[in-house]
Amino acid sequence: MNLKISALDFVQQVQNGDISAEDFVAETIQRIQKIDDDLHAFLSVNDDAINQAKSIDKKIKSGEKVGACFGMPISIKDNMCIKNSKTTCASKMLENFVAPYDATVISKLKQQDAIFIGKVNMDEFAMGLTTEFSAYGPSKNPWNPEYVPGGSSGGSAVSVSAFECVASLGSDTGGSVRNPASFCSVVGYKPTYGLISRYGLISYANSIEQIGPLTRTVKDTAFMLNMIAGLDSNDNTTIDNKNEDYLSGIDSGIEGKKIGIITEMIGDGIDSTVLSATKDAISKLEGLGATCEEVSLDMVKYSVAAYYTITATEAGSNLARYDNLRYGYEFPVEGYEFNSYISKARQKFGPEVTRRMIIGGFVPSAGHAGKYFLKAMKVKSKLIKEINEAFKKFDLLIAPTVPVLPFKLGEKINDPVSLFLIDINTVTANLTGKPAISVPFAISNGLPIGMQLFANSNEDKLLLQAACALESTVKLPEVPI
Amino acid sequence: MVTEKEIEHVSKLMKIDVDDHTEYVDKVQKMINYFDILDSAGVESEEISMPEISLESLRKDEHVAFDDKLIEKLNHYKGTYVRAPKMSS
Amino acid sequence: MTKIGLEIHCQLTHLKSKLFCSCKANYREFEINENICPVCMGLPGSLPRLNQEAVKKATIIAMALNCSTPEKIAFFRKNYFYPDLPKNFQITQLNIYGDTSVGGSGSIMVGDKKIRITRIQLEEDPGRLIYEGSSSKNQITLVDYNRAGTPLVEIVTEPDFESPKQVREFLNILSDLLENLGVSDPSLEGAMRADANVSIEGGNKVEVKNIGSFHDLEKAAHFEITRQNSLHSRDIEIVQETRHWDDKRKITVSSRSKEEDLDYRYFLEGDIPWVTMNDGIVDELKSEMPESINSKKERYISKYTIPVQVSEVLSSDKYYSDLFEQSHNESNAKEIANIITTDLMGLVDTREKRDKSKMTSKHLSDLADSIQSGKISRNSSKNALHEIVKTGKELSQIISELDLGNVSDESELAGIISEVISAEPQAVEQAKSNPQTINYLVGKVMQKTKGKADPTKTLDLLKKQLT
Repeated sequence: MNLKISALDFVQQVQNGDISAEDFVAETIQRIQKIDDDLHAFLSVNDDAINQAKSIDKKIKSGEKVGACFGMPISIKDNMCIKNSKTTCASKMLENFVAPYDATVISKLKQQDAIFIGKVNMDEFAMGLTTEFSAYGPSKNPWNPEYVPGGSSGGSAVSVSAFECVASLGSDTGGSVRNPASFCSVVGYKPTYGLISRYGLISYANSIEQIGPLTRTVKDTAFMLNMIAGLDSNDNTTIDNKNEDYLSGIDSGIEGKKIGIITEMIGDGIDSTVLSATKDAISKLEGLGATCEEVSLDMVKYSVAAYYTITATEAGSNLARYDNLRYGYEFPVEGYEFNSYISKARQKFGPEVTRRMIIGGFVPSAGHAGKYFLKAMKVKSKLIKEINEAFKKFDLLIAPTVPVLPFKLGEKINDPVSLFLIDINTVTANLTGKPAISVPFAISNGLPIGMQLFANSNEDKLLLQAACALESTVKLPEVPI
Repeated sequence: MVTEKEIEHVSKLMKIDVDDHTEYVDKVQKMINYFDILDSAGVESEEISMPEISLESLRKDEHVAFDDKLIEKLNHYKGTYVRAPKMSS
Repeated sequence: MTKIGLEIHCQLTHLKSKLFCSCKANYREFEINENICPVCMGLPGSLPRLNQEAVKKATIIAMALNCSTPEKIAFFRKNYFYPDLPKNFQITQLNIYGDTSVGGSGSIMVGDKKIRITRIQLEEDPGRLIYEGSSSKNQITLVDYNRAGTPLVEIVTEPDFESPKQVREFLNILSDLLENLGVSDPSLEGAMRADANVSIEGGNKVEVKNIGSFHDLEKAAHFEITRQNSLHSRDIEIVQETRHWDDKRKITVSSRSKEEDLDYRYFLEGDIPWVTMNDGIVDELKSEMPESINSKKERYISKYTIPVQVSEVLSSDKYYSDLFEQSHNESNAKEIANIITTDLMGLVDTREKRDKSKMTSKHLSDLADSIQSGKISRNSSKNALHEIVKTGKELSQIISELDLGNVSDESELAGIISEVISAEPQAVEQAKSNPQTINYLVGKVMQKTKGKADPTKTLDLLKKQLT
């Protein structure tokens, strides 16, 4: 059985009766058992998956109506709630938390007969970009297990890249889908803010983050988006996409499109191989009939500082609910006074989460909000203006997803500020709410490089068309595992 | 420059006891100091903007009970209470 | 000079669901922690879903208090840790980026005094704490979250009150107003709570929190003024602090809260976009607003010539004015106003009695019509009303069962009059010479009929028989 197929191929082969969902799922689980001790993409595996696949096969045989996924095994980042299963956010704080409800994306995929093969690893509460901050140990990059897979949706990227599932859902607060997608050579997508419901996604920085698919191909991303996008009464921030079909016309090409190259994202600190890959991408896009020229977004220089100020503030508030009273781990309240109990209970947070929450208490506090939080919000506003201005002239923007190549585990974990700067090319999409996608573009010395495209708000379909065109220009080697 | 005392104050505000004090303060200081770059962004006159929603598209006022006995899935005490530590007076 | 400012928390008790989820707004009917869901419990991944009607009701309150209403409504997070707060922040409103709370500045007259309203905000109520254990060692706190997320409107006033008496007058007007608007039932336990800021002689401001009823608010203000005066007279400085109202001992107690607990780190709630309030909506709400108490009063006086005092009583109590509106017509309005304000008030003066009462508006109009047509005397109508409230039976049935109807049959009445005339020859002679004394004979007829003879008819027949 070939596990190395795209989502669309899987659906077609099951539909045609070439393969059964049960066989595919069983083989996938075997592969997870075989290779995941080394890669550590999964935090938990669904032990009912094979049964679920059986019942979908039965439905197919009896001619019943079957959902669009036909039993496709999908991995889910462990910050999305699946009813009656553990959702840990890769934190000891939620080690025993069993979600009593389904996230909207989960109920939508259930209706389409998807199989959730397991919950995958991440940086604790999605704070990080290497997956090294998981309380349950880091994931490894399948291209070279000495290297980080990126993050925070590291487990999602690893599981798709290493054929431990067909597709995955991650979440992207400042690049958390696109960054690991780039490091693991898969497609990673951050939609327009509000396109996918966040109901059931455990918040880190709710005003800018989105759930996004990680897949093997751009078409698979469009296929996933068709199932999970759209207005949701459970999330007041969702937007009406009028049931857009993102797959139809995805091969339209990009002839005549104007593409802006973001100057601030190919400047200081960019790795030379990443820069030459970017130049290569630009000439390939021009070869497809697009015109490319540089455009400056001045606020990008301040975007990382603004991003960390805003995310820390929201995280400080979003994570305040973890006080161990209504749910959590065994730690009796007797003999404690409220404040001392809470402060002790919250020691279960890992060091990075603790640091960011302290920052999140500091930057919006009465004496400091003016210097930090308010300025960060204003940088965000001005960045939105700048990018809107750019989209008056350009249909799309381009920049490498990450300015550097994947690095080794442990290499940067102790230098928070140098880690900050790796986010410089991804946070803009989150701060401005624009859609952005990372497409596998090159392999340099066995390490992947992803190329990033941006479009204006609600131009997700155009963005996927462009990404599909870019994808068609490259033929990359298979992951060596 | 953020002082150690300020960081200690905030850790109390955020209700987290910190064990590895020195390393921890050092990192937080570095991170916050990096934010000083915001001072040179020249954005004082910018207005803060947010997405909008019309009143009519908000939820209608209807009572729908949750489909499960939720308290049974949470930490509970004496049947149905949630238990908290004693409050300081 | 005494200055008092108020922060009044009023639950929107007439809503069906909570502010951010579909659990019931009326949490009072549930067993402990049965009116909860992932949203009001702040479970990981849950998001607030703003109740449209709550925004409307809060806007109506703002308009009734002459407050400005904004084009866009924004919500903020107030961050602090407390076990009754499932998310450890409260979603509330604030005006730090322009006027974005449901109501901006406004005012209301209390007698001749203008009380300025600072703002009106919509926010969520926390859960409820119950303290358990006697010795401080084994003490724990129990939490019931049924109330968490109940829609609450906070009305913040400027420090314009000069005495507890003014505070009470304001509260009376405010609770009548809220009830009349159909947004809240002030008589429900816990539906109205308040904090008060009190200062004297330009001294430091003391905030008194946790006052559970309007009744106690006046007392708390009074206690705090006395306490501050006594300190002031001994030249002791009044500390700026937060004090709690001790409900049992009826005193205020310093709450010794530490500085670090007071940094709420307000910032915008990203889960709720700014709600746009176009002119159309505001106009629509204005047109749907119930008639104000003042306008009702004026109408009762001018249209039906109901006396001022009666009109005042009738208009200020929504229960009475609703009854009046539903039962009256041009000809019986005055009679109905009279029945409500003289006889009915004693029978349904509490919430429980009102809930139990079986009376409908039809009963009232029947009763008024029967009095006006002479079917029942005013005297007997009181007994009939009592029976109506108790049993809800038809008026005609009650009249016949309790034999309350007037003796209206002329021959029957004439017979009784003949009896009286033959029994009272002296009085008859007197009446013939001095018609003023005829009332004595009328009284005798009334005695014999137990008050059921129609006085006018009796007089007519008596005169006829005496001539």
